Amino acid sequence: MQDPPDPPRGRAFVVAFAVLVPAIYTLCEMQNWPLFTYHPGTGRLDWGYAPAVRDEGPAMYWYGWVTNSLGGGALLAGLAAAMAGPGRARWPLWPAWVAPLVAIPLLIYALRYYWRF
Amino acid sequence: MEAIYDIISPAAFWTTLLTLHMLASVALLGAVTHQAMAVLAPAPRGAADGFLTRFRRVSGPGYAGAICLLWIVAFVLGGWIYVHYRIYVRVPIEAEGYWLTLGAFEVKEHVAVLGLGLLPLYWRSWQRARDAGYAAARRWTTGLLAGMSWLLFLVGHVVNNVRGFG
Repeated sequence: MQDPPDPPRGRAFVVAFAVLVPAIYTLCEMQNWPLFTYHPGTGRLDWGYAPAVRDEGPAMYWYGWVTNSLGGGALLAGLAAAMAGPGRARWPLWPAWVAPLVAIPLLIYALRYYWRF
Repeated sequence: MEAIYDIISPAAFWTTLLTLHMLASVALLGAVTHQAMAVLAPAPRGAADGFLTRFRRVSGPGYAGAICLLWIVAFVLGGWIYVHYRIYVRVPIEAEGYWLTLGAFEVKEHVAVLGLGLLPLYWRSWQRARDAGYAAARRWTTGLLAGMSWLLFLVGHVVNNVRGFG
């Protein structure tokens, strides 16, 4: 028994999403571009990057990077899927697993402050 | 949070959340390791029916849905606990100067997101389990998710050992 035909739009979406999430996340982490900043000590949210406020605890950027990468990845992968279709070249699958393999050493390098101790 | 704290103490609440996160992670680790062994090192035909053979002889497609669900559940619970970690765990660890531990935790939070990015292709490749065109995708995504799961689990274990509960 064979699998049903491979719809090109679905294939384009999953490949583009797998490439875009690590790409956007790595860029946001290295440039510190969160969609928003969360201040867990006070529960306050600020748009974009905001530094920690004195005597109010730390600021958290990870949620803002995750929102950028998952939201941006889904949006752009949706556009890629909309442009894919019958008669277009099929998306190769291999960039999907190469992207995180490239992102991991870059992200480890971005954390070099921690490795000096 | 105040409504929750009226029912359960903050310490009990965060301990419960951390325990649920750990249980989801253990289940994920077991499932994805079984599946990775089955797809990367399948049991040869006629192999003796020992522990390793049985460990590798699972049906991969049957695990994919559970692995996606467990990854998402563990991610959401971990993201929730992260708020508590940032104030009550990370700050004391910084004060003690355990920089390698802190760096390893940063790697953990990054890798967890990269794993989320792989899930749709992983899911699709196992939904098309008889499609030879997705065989490499099945091997790579399953192997990567298994490696990531082990890293996430071990780093979480080390951080928990450094700081402990409470």
